[in-house]
Amino acid sequence: MFVTCKHLSRREALKGLGVTIALPFLDAMAPAGRALSATDRKTRLICVEMVHGSAGSTAIGARKNLWAPAAVGGDFDLGPTSLRSLAPFHDHLTIVSNTDCSSAEPFTASEIGGDHFRSSAVFLTQAHPKQTQAADVQAGISLDQLYAQRFGQTTPIPSMRLCIEKGDQGGGCGYGYSCAYTDTISWASATRPLPMVRDPRVVFDTLFGVLRLDETPEARREQLARDRSILDWVQSSVARLMTRLGPGDRARLSDYLDNVREIERRIRAVEVFSSSGEVRERPEAPPGVPDSFSAHVKVMFDLQVLALAADVTRVFAFKLGRDNSNRAYPESGFNGPFHPTSHHSGKEAKILDFATLNAYHVSMIPYVLDKLKNTPDGDGNLLDHTLLLYGSAMGDSNLHNHKRVPFFMAGHAGGALRGGVHLKAPNGTPLANVMLSVLHKLGVDDIANFGDSEGTFAL
Amino acid sequence: MIKRFIGILALGISLSAFVETPNITGTWTMGLEGDHVIPVALVLKQDGQKLTGTIALPTQNAGHRVEVTLSGEFVDRAFKLSGTVEGAKEPTTLDISGKLLDDGSMEGKFEMPGHGHGNMSWTAERLKERK
Repeated sequence: MFVTCKHLSRREALKGLGVTIALPFLDAMAPAGRALSATDRKTRLICVEMVHGSAGSTAIGARKNLWAPAAVGGDFDLGPTSLRSLAPFHDHLTIVSNTDCSSAEPFTASEIGGDHFRSSAVFLTQAHPKQTQAADVQAGISLDQLYAQRFGQTTPIPSMRLCIEKGDQGGGCGYGYSCAYTDTISWASATRPLPMVRDPRVVFDTLFGVLRLDETPEARREQLARDRSILDWVQSSVARLMTRLGPGDRARLSDYLDNVREIERRIRAVEVFSSSGEVRERPEAPPGVPDSFSAHVKVMFDLQVLALAADVTRVFAFKLGRDNSNRAYPESGFNGPFHPTSHHSGKEAKILDFATLNAYHVSMIPYVLDKLKNTPDGDGNLLDHTLLLYGSAMGDSNLHNHKRVPFFMAGHAGGALRGGVHLKAPNGTPLANVMLSVLHKLGVDDIANFGDSEGTFAL
Repeated sequence: MIKRFIGILALGISLSAFVETPNITGTWTMGLEGDHVIPVALVLKQDGQKLTGTIALPTQNAGHRVEVTLSGEFVDRAFKLSGTVEGAKEPTTLDISGKLLDDGSMEGKFEMPGHGHGNMSWTAERLKERK
């Protein structure tokens, strides 16, 4: 590592007209005379939800290890499971199986059958949503927001919430539940659901402070035609900064800006296609949203890695699906619609089809883990300093139950998680116990309860 | 000896009466086993052998339900209930038969003649109501 004598502030940024690009961590930002260690920086957090539980949550799926591996401890085989794409990251995985989300169950007669309209609100809150279609929604503060409120206040953006499917439907979604419960997994307080952003362009502009005061369709088309990058607006700022950096930092900054340009190019390509008059598979989506699920997820993950690298924010909540969606995922190798496939009648062949979809959704995760692992951060890489958690508040979606819910974590969370382990909880263990312990590990260690937790869980 | 026999007999009769007259009053989470398991609320009130209640059935309009009033009898741990679904072009009758199992759950058949998804098996568990 090369530590220059020309110290840069962590908040140094590239500035141009209407654009502010935060910088990745550079050696020049380290405190004088030493490299920045993991303990100098707070863990980054990515919370990913995929709806409708898993095939492995069924009785047949549990026997066949369609979600969690058979062996507990460190010597587990992901081969038969929907987590098999994560095998290269074995040492970064903490799989916690056999937990329940009983807060998503019905508490009263009128709530019976409303599981699809409740589950997403439960995933990160572990609290039981109030049955209402009005503005008086109530669940609980979510894990990502507890962390952001504690450790996200010194970054330009305390947290960001992203999604893949259409949200913002307003009003009631069914069985007497507000759409707020279905549209987001992130709650700033028990009564304040936070909106999620579906359009990569909005995420990009938010991260890089791009002003869009002239955002008419004509202005957008004109800008697309000009094909200019935000980097064009900060060229002189880049040139000035480069003169202050050592060779390692120059290379790192150059790679980072290449990534920014590449992501911007991909977003623009989608916008150009969307504006071309060609038939879109998802015509209701904003122009920056790719038709392809994997392309959409990957650009959203790329944006998250950029933001985490530049410490623009440390916290993301990312919702990959939406309850009751009939979207198909042909890239999975199975073309059946999601919702009916998740209702597999308990038949083994159909459960295996659902497992194919589960495996496909999980297969998006190695992409971001690889990006994080290849992004230097202080004395290690971003994956070492990140906690990604993935799961659902539903278990067996055919029964609409909330038992044996799918859940795993990846990353070493700045040394808080050793990884390389499968932990099987005793029957009836609330997932909230695990989340309470996760919060403690992340430094939110002055809370005794989270959601319906009954205690902690040894991680 | 006779006194002891009468005592045991009386105890047996009272125990069997206790065992054989269960009460299924309350809210049940009923799973209708169609192409998937549809959870519906079955609310029952038992008065001797007389059984009344409601069932909240999903409609074709996703996320909406219709509540149907039921009446019938509960005899020897088995019951039959019937009701009429209002709101369709033609009122549709539905029949539910079921029995109480030793583990406290219930199972049975659900029939709506002339309805596409009208003949289904079901199981039910008593809802643990919470606030």
